[in-house]
Amino acid sequence: MASAFMQPGFGEAPGYSFSQAPTVAASGAREHSFYPYTDNGGSTLGITGQDFAILAGDTRSTSGYNINTRYAPKVFRIGSDDESGAGGHIVLAVCGFAADGEALKERLDAMVKMYRYQHGKPMSVKACAQRLATILYQKRFFPYYVHAILGGLDEEGKGALYSYDPVGSYEREQCRAAGAAASLIMPFLDNQVNFKNQFVPGSGVGHFLEAREPLPLPRKDVEELVRDAFSSAVERHIEVGDGLQMMVITKDGVEEIYHPLKRD
Amino acid sequence: MNHFPQAWGRPRDDVYGAYNHSYLQMTGPKQHTQSPIVTGTSVLAIKFKDGVVIAADNLASYGSLARFTDVKRLRTFNDTTVVGFGGDVSDMQYLDRLLNSLDIEENYYPEGHRLNAQNLHTYLTKVMYKRRSDFNPLWNAILVAGLDGEEKPFLAYVDLLGTRYSSPSLATGFGAHLAQPVLREYVPDEKAAENLTQETAVEAIKKCMKVLFYRDARSLDKYSIAVITKEGVDLKEDEKLENQSWAFADRIRGYGAQVV
Amino acid sequence: MTSIGTGYDLSNSVFSPDGRNFQVEYAVKAVENGGTAVGIRCKDGVVLAIEKIITSKLLKVGANKRISTVDRHVGVVSSGLVPDGRHFVARARDEASSWRKFYKAPISTAMLSNRLGAYVQAYTLYSSVRPFGVTSIIGGWDSEADIPVDGQVGNGPQVGAGGKVTDVKKGGPALYMIEPSGQYWGYYGAATGKGRQAAKAELEKLDLSPTGISLEEGVKEAARIIYVAHEDSKDKEFELEMTWISSLDGPTKGRHQEVPKELREEAERLAKKSLEGDDDDEEEEKTGEEKMEE
Repeated sequence: MASAFMQPGFGEAPGYSFSQAPTVAASGAREHSFYPYTDNGGSTLGITGQDFAILAGDTRSTSGYNINTRYAPKVFRIGSDDESGAGGHIVLAVCGFAADGEALKERLDAMVKMYRYQHGKPMSVKACAQRLATILYQKRFFPYYVHAILGGLDEEGKGALYSYDPVGSYEREQCRAAGAAASLIMPFLDNQVNFKNQFVPGSGVGHFLEAREPLPLPRKDVEELVRDAFSSAVERHIEVGDGLQMMVITKDGVEEIYHPLKRD
Repeated sequence: MNHFPQAWGRPRDDVYGAYNHSYLQMTGPKQHTQSPIVTGTSVLAIKFKDGVVIAADNLASYGSLARFTDVKRLRTFNDTTVVGFGGDVSDMQYLDRLLNSLDIEENYYPEGHRLNAQNLHTYLTKVMYKRRSDFNPLWNAILVAGLDGEEKPFLAYVDLLGTRYSSPSLATGFGAHLAQPVLREYVPDEKAAENLTQETAVEAIKKCMKVLFYRDARSLDKYSIAVITKEGVDLKEDEKLENQSWAFADRIRGYGAQVV
Repeated sequence: MTSIGTGYDLSNSVFSPDGRNFQVEYAVKAVENGGTAVGIRCKDGVVLAIEKIITSKLLKVGANKRISTVDRHVGVVSSGLVPDGRHFVARARDEASSWRKFYKAPISTAMLSNRLGAYVQAYTLYSSVRPFGVTSIIGGWDSEADIPVDGQVGNGPQVGAGGKVTDVKKGGPALYMIEPSGQYWGYYGAATGKGRQAAKAELEKLDLSPTGISLEEGVKEAARIIYVAHEDSKDKEFELEMTWISSLDGPTKGRHQEVPKELREEAERLAKKSLEGDDDDEEEEKTGEEKMEE
C-alpha cells in the first residue's frame, strides 16, 4: 500500500480524486486568445511644398465592415497650447490601430511641450522626427500598430515631411500616403508630385526621352491633389470616406480644412 | 494553513487519488482574462437636442444560457452621467466600483471640480488602454452618455482595446449591426441630433430595442433606459418591451403551437 | 494640575501613580481652546456645525473648510488642532474606502467610529507619539434601504434561499464623538471645543428622541447653539460652517453635504434674532427627558 502521506510534487500532473485517469494539461505554450490590436481603417497623406506642408486624412473609423463613426480625426496638432492649435507648428497623422495612434499622439505632444518648457524654444521638426522614431522603437516588441507621418517646416522654412513604419524606421520625403488606401494613392502621388513617368515632350525617342524635372508645387495645386487623391480612394476603398481633414502648415501657423467625402 | 491536505485528515491517496494542487498554483505564468464569462449584449444610445438617451437590456448570459435576468447594465455616475456596459459582467462590476471610489474621492472637496461625461470617458479610455497594454483587458464595450464641459450632449464609446470614438448615435455588439443603421436614419449627422426631440429619441431607442429582441438571441424584453439632460438623469430600470408583433410567426413551424 | 514637576507628564504612555495619563489630559486642553463644534442627531438626519473663529481678515470668506466628507454618507468635524483633525479625516477616509474594498459596501457609522476610536487610542500607548489634539464628531446616515453593494448588478431572489426579508428596520442617523483618549460614545447631541458647556446645556433642552425634532429644525438649532456658545468670546468674529446628512428621501438623499447657503443664512438670521430677544426671558423650563452625558 502506498503511503497515505505520499506527496505529489508541484510539477506533477494534477490528479482529481474523482477522476479515473489523471487529466494532463496539454503541454506547450498556451496561446492567448486576446489579441491586443485592431485595424480602424482609413488613410492618411502628406505632401510638402517650398514653404508649406500639408497633412491629410479621412475621418472614417471602421471595425471590419462596420463604420464606427463618420468623424474620428487622424491628423493632430503637436505641441500646441490648447485645442485651437495656437503655438503648435508640428502635425502628426496616424492610421492603423486608432487607440495606439492616440496614445502615440499624446506622448509625442507631451514631449514636444516639455521640450518647449525646458528649453524655452520650440522643438525643431527634425528633432521631433528623431524623437518620434525613438518612441516607436522603444516599443519594438509590442509596437504601436500605426503608420505615422510627421509634418512641419524645417530650419530653413521649407516644408518637411517624415514617414515612419510601426517600429520607428523613418525617412524624410516629398510626399507619402499611408493606411488602407496607400497603395491606391501613392502611385498617383509619384506621378503627380514627383512626376514619375512624365517626360519632356519631343526631347527624344524611347530611352532618350528626358524625364520631367520635379519642382515643388504651389499650395493651391497640392490642396487640389489631396482632394482628388481622397475622392478617388473613396470610390475604390470601403474603409475610406465620410470626411477629409487637411492641416496646412505654413510660417503663419497650422490651418485646418474640412471637406465632406462620400458617406457610402 | 499548509497545502498538505493529508495532514488535515484527508481521505487516502491510494483510494481517492492525489490531492490536486493545481487550484492554488504558486508558480508558473500569471493567468489573465482570456475570454469573457458572464456577458451582457448590446448597449444603444442616441443624442438629441437637450441630451442623450441610452438603453441596455437586463440580461446577463452565461454562454447561450440566459443566466441572470435582472441585471442593471446602466450605471449612473455623479448624478450627471450614465455609463452603459456590454461584455463581461464581473469587469463591469469592477469598473463600477472603480467609478464609485472615484466619485467618493471627488466629493471630498465640496467646491472642487466635478467630472463630466467627457472627463469620465477620457478616464475610462485610459483605464481600458492600460489594461489591454498589460495583456489583462477589461472585457467590455462601453458607452458613456451625458453632457460635456459646455453642457452640450456628449456620447462616446470605449472598448477592451482602448479604442474610442464619438458619434450622434452609437451601439455596441449586435446593436452595431442591427440598431445603428436605424438610429442613423434619425441622426445622420450632428446637425440632425441638434434638432431631434426627446420624444423622438426615446421612440427611436425603443424601436431598436425591439429589433434587437427579435433578432439577437442573447437579448431580453426587459430593459433599462435613461434620459440624460441638464435637469439630471431619469433612469428606469424595469421597462418591458411594448407592442411586440409576432404575427409573422403563426405560419412558421417552431414558433407557435403547431401540432404538425 | 499638581502634576507639574512630578515627571509623570513628560512622556506619553506613562501613568501617574494615581492612574492618569497627563499627555492625554493636555491634549484635552488643546481641544478646549478650539472653536465650538456641535452635532445633532435628528429623527431624519444629522447636522454638523462648527464655529470658525476668523483669525485674520486676509482669509477668504467661506474657504478653508473644517467639516470633511469621509464617505458619501459620513461627515467629520473636529475641534482642536486643525492639522491633527486633517490627519484624523485622512485616516477615516482610508478606513471607509478599505471597508468598501473589503466588503463592497459602505461602512456603518458605528463601525467607522469604532475603528477611529481604536486608532486614536493607539496614540496614547507609545512614547514616540503624542495623542491627537482633537475631539472629533462623526455624523452619518446608514442607509435604511437594502445596503447598496458596490458593483451589484441585480436585486437578487425575491423569495426562497437568499430571498428578501421585508419590514426589517435598519439604518438611520448616527452620531459619535471621539476624544483624545480614544474614548467614544454615541450621542443624541454632541458638543466640543471652547463653548461646549453652553452648547451642551442648549442641546439638553432639545427633543432628540427618535420622534423628536426634524433635520431642518436641527439645522436651525445647531446654528443657534453655535451662536449661543459664541457669546463668551464675543470679541472675536466667526463664520458658521454647517453640513447635514438626511435620509434617502430627504434633501441630501443620504449623502453628506454642505447645508445650502439660503438655509444656512436663514438659520443664522433666526439665531441672531433669538439672541437679541434672549436677554431677559432666559428662564425656560428644562425639557430634560434624557440626560445625555454624565
